Amino acid sequence: MSIALRGIAKQFGEFAAVKDIDLDVPTGALIALLGPSGCGKTTLLRIIAGLETPDEGQVLFDGRDATLWPIRDRNVGFVFQHYALFRHMSVFENVAFGLKVKPRRERPSSAEMRRKVQSLLELVQLGWAGDRYPAQLSGGQRQRVALARALAVDPDVLLLDEPFGALDSQVRHELRRWLRRLHDELHFTSIFVTHDQQEAIEVADTIVVLNRGRIEQSGVPGEVYDLPTSAFVHRFLGQVNELPVHLRDGRAYLGPIDISPAADVRTGDANNIALIRPHEIEIGPEGMGWPATVVAVRVIGPIVRLEVCAQGLPTNEPLEAEISRERYEGERFSVGQTVGLRFRRWQVYPASGAAA
Amino acid sequence: MAAAEARIDVRRAAPGRLLLIAAALLFLGLFLVLPLLAVFVQALAKGVSAYVAAISDPMAWAAVKLTLTVAAIAVPFNLVFGVAAAWAIAKFEFRGKNTLITLIDLPFAVSPVIAGLIFILLFGSHGWFGGYLKAHHIRVVFAVPGIVLATIFVTFPFIARELIPVMQAQGKDDEESALSLGATGWQTFWRVTLPNIRWGLMYGVLLCNARAMGEFGAVSVVSGHVRGLTNTMPLHVEILYNEYNYTAAFAVASLLALLALLTLVGKSFLEWRQPELKHAARLAHDRTRREKT
Repeated sequence: MSIALRGIAKQFGEFAAVKDIDLDVPTGALIALLGPSGCGKTTLLRIIAGLETPDEGQVLFDGRDATLWPIRDRNVGFVFQHYALFRHMSVFENVAFGLKVKPRRERPSSAEMRRKVQSLLELVQLGWAGDRYPAQLSGGQRQRVALARALAVDPDVLLLDEPFGALDSQVRHELRRWLRRLHDELHFTSIFVTHDQQEAIEVADTIVVLNRGRIEQSGVPGEVYDLPTSAFVHRFLGQVNELPVHLRDGRAYLGPIDISPAADVRTGDANNIALIRPHEIEIGPEGMGWPATVVAVRVIGPIVRLEVCAQGLPTNEPLEAEISRERYEGERFSVGQTVGLRFRRWQVYPASGAAA
Repeated sequence: MAAAEARIDVRRAAPGRLLLIAAALLFLGLFLVLPLLAVFVQALAKGVSAYVAAISDPMAWAAVKLTLTVAAIAVPFNLVFGVAAAWAIAKFEFRGKNTLITLIDLPFAVSPVIAGLIFILLFGSHGWFGGYLKAHHIRVVFAVPGIVLATIFVTFPFIARELIPVMQAQGKDDEESALSLGATGWQTFWRVTLPNIRWGLMYGVLLCNARAMGEFGAVSVVSGHVRGLTNTMPLHVEILYNEYNYTAAFAVASLLALLALLTLVGKSFLEWRQPELKHAARLAHDRTRREKT
């Protein structure tokens, strides 16, 4: 089922949670709503689910206006951050709940129900856990039960609200990959909310970045990561270094490095900043580019993070650069050493809008 | 594990801790166990036959029946009201919510005697509706309906007050997920909400029932003390006591105490029969506490 949002707005008291949202989710897509807390992503998801009613705008399911449909008529599966399993029911009863509450003529026979629940439990690798109670399972297992329960009613759309937010990083990583596989096998339309950019990039086909109730940018993960349209998106999608851009004689400089012609630099505006990701900084021998001093070296598995103080910049704000472990093994940069910096890529934004 | 550690702690307890435990036990004994024992001792002071005679007196029986009748009406009424009010307050946002919470607390704030006087003022022969009621030969005050009304008023907050924090702590996730799975509002209530609150509800009902059976002040004002007709057990005890009929007074009092003990035993029995529920309730409690920190 395809979902479309047209001019959605929702206000809680004085607080505008979402404003003027337009979004198209094609059938079978897996979309991430990404943003910091309070950006309106959960509100948007709840509006799609029917758990909130928008003040303005329309929600279209396959082109039909579903704005005022009650949640039980929407055929959506909703997965909560804290699982929301029914604690007085066994795992089996939890998964069977959606089937048991169907009107009598739609309700499957008890044998059929048992078969379906068992196959769902096996799908989430919990075939052995039917008799357990939620309290006896780990967080990751509970969330898989919640997913099986949501899938039991054959939803057209699966909505997940920070589904892995309460889990530790190892389990989270496994569940992400597993969700992606499940989505590819079952072909439902999925929308999930997260504040974790890595999760969004890893799992989703399309990322929608929200900020202060509006959509900042949407696109495929690589595109949003590489070509952010605003400083906010650039910052939110990964580590960045920020440098002031200096204008001299109609040319633009980062420190001593001439970055002209930088298309984005408006020559009249003296307040531009350049955002550079750590892996876009090139570290070379002294004499290359911008002189700098290494102040910290941290080996993180396959990569090595160097903190360097570039000459002329305040020393309490070192730049972060990442190089490969192999490169590091070869060159052995050490604390106190003087090196040269160059930038492989950068992006310039007006500083005024960058504070957002 | 935790219990084992606690036991070791007690055995190695410092003198200060022992002193505190002893003080608590002494206090409990002095103010709870001793009076309770005194009631039974006094009731049986003139022998079992005197006791049996006292409680098989028709007037005593009438008081027992009236008390049970009043509780049987007031408790279900407040059960329905309490669940509805707690549900509304915990799960929905609406204008006037704080006013509703204050109103629910009103019977706690008002002295029971005043609660009784309110009903006299409304339904008494010189009250607002007195003329109408008299014309239609309906007796409210100095009759059973008045006693029921006063009891409902006084026991109004118990169940709602017990449930509101429980329901607020549980949040709306369970209900919302039931709805998203296709359950109707009614199915959600019976299959999800009610099982989630059953312990809180039971404590609320126990408290409400205890107060409904034991209420004295408000009922005393509206009852009129007609023996065999409008005397509840607490009123009957007072009358007997004022007549220096101590044995009978304490015999009826012991029955009242016995009813209270029975409800407590019933509660323990339910907890013993369904340990996994107690376990689940505790886990839920832990979870909400963890999420708050």
